[in-house]
Amino acid sequence: MSHLAARIRSIPSWQITLGIALLALGFLIAAQLAAEGPRIRYTTQERSPLVETAINLQTQQVTFKAEIADLREQIQKLEDQGQGTTQLVRELNRQLEQARIAAGLIPLTGTGLVLRLADSDQPTPAGGNESDYLVTARDIRTVIAELWLAGAEAIAVNGERVTVSTGVLDIGHSILVNSAYLAPPYQISAIGPTDMLDQLGKSEGWVAFIDTRRGHFGIDVSFAEPPTVEVPAFAGSLNLRESRAVAASPAP
Amino acid sequence: MRASLRDPRSQLLVSLVALILGVLIVVQIRSQAGDSGLAERSAQDLTLLVANLNTRNDQLRTEVSSLDRQLQALEVGGRNGTSSLNQIRDDLARIRAWAGLDPVAGRGVEITVSGAIDGHALEELINELRNSGSEAIAIEDVRVVAATVVGGGVGALSVDNEALGDRFVVRAIGNPESLVGSLTRIGGMVAQLAATYPDAAVSVEAIDRLVLPATKRNLTPSHGRPRL
Repeated sequence: MSHLAARIRSIPSWQITLGIALLALGFLIAAQLAAEGPRIRYTTQERSPLVETAINLQTQQVTFKAEIADLREQIQKLEDQGQGTTQLVRELNRQLEQARIAAGLIPLTGTGLVLRLADSDQPTPAGGNESDYLVTARDIRTVIAELWLAGAEAIAVNGERVTVSTGVLDIGHSILVNSAYLAPPYQISAIGPTDMLDQLGKSEGWVAFIDTRRGHFGIDVSFAEPPTVEVPAFAGSLNLRESRAVAASPAP
Repeated sequence: MRASLRDPRSQLLVSLVALILGVLIVVQIRSQAGDSGLAERSAQDLTLLVANLNTRNDQLRTEVSSLDRQLQALEVGGRNGTSSLNQIRDDLARIRAWAGLDPVAGRGVEITVSGAIDGHALEELINELRNSGSEAIAIEDVRVVAATVVGGGVGALSVDNEALGDRFVVRAIGNPESLVGSLTRIGGMVAQLAATYPDAAVSVEAIDRLVLPATKRNLTPSHGRPRL
């Protein structure tokens, strides 16, 4: 026994380090092969260019959104420069600011709630439906609706501002919000009164959602109440090709 | 003979292992973070995703051009000392119309639902209209805005706490051809409603001019303030 201990002690430390490094190397190679496995299995000739196209389009989308946010900021600054010239311009600029806030074109900060939804880690039972164990567009829409009912004033999902034109759509196991591809987990930030969580707890719809989605299918729903919640501005298009304002009503 | 780290061969071996280890760590991290799971999607899902991204990017491109023109007009107006009042008024009218603060008119579709459906079904219909490019929507006389919530079970349907009967009309402004096409396609919203609620009848009609009211909601936040 003492002979064995003596032999172990006699192994140079660099050999131990090398041994550990080789173990890590083996683990990483195995992990890489496991990660590649299903992809190789499902790969078809047309998928690879499609993935590349989707990634390129997403990159373009990010660029366009940044450009839109920048242009809106520049326009707002130029319009604000009119301030101080006449009473009328000042009043119009005040209305413009209010309209932009109401439309979701200005980032907001305030009290609120952040919810996080993640796919279930429960295995799909035999005969079960795999999508029941994943966060769906309907889940996101239910949470958004419940947050509005609880008093939310502004909501964003993974940084996509929820506006009058926001659709939430399932495409296979992906979710599109404002036609932007979002990957799980989904973080839903809501600005509103400090008792939003209490209000959610009193809602039958919310209780039913939690019972079903978390209770039965293991969807992970967690929340946080940070001192301030930030919700970004909508950086999409104001699609008004067919619509015309028919009469100006007083400012909100 | 005992191997020593001072032996150049041992040093070479250690360096080689460290190099491979580093490369593999980077590859592993990139493969986890790179495509946000896109590579695991089916070809059909990817085709739909690409179509959606294309449509969205076209809209964004148009918005960039429109904002660019607006910015240039403001800059020219500022340099010439001419009034930018009309530009500010146009911008204000456009934003108020889009947000639902003002009534709007235009071409679109009228969807008549006769028979009891529940809140989830109506919510799906509104979501479908938004995804199909509707510019403004109203359920009866309630203008749909971001915070509009439809709810209630069969026979107890409501929108923003206003009760809806078993027969109600949803009006949406937008390109009538694409809206009708999207709603009435095989497996589309009308077909889904017919399958789920066989006693309810849903009709879709293209209309040349619809007028939708402004929202009655106050959209000015009281808990949120603009982030500087």
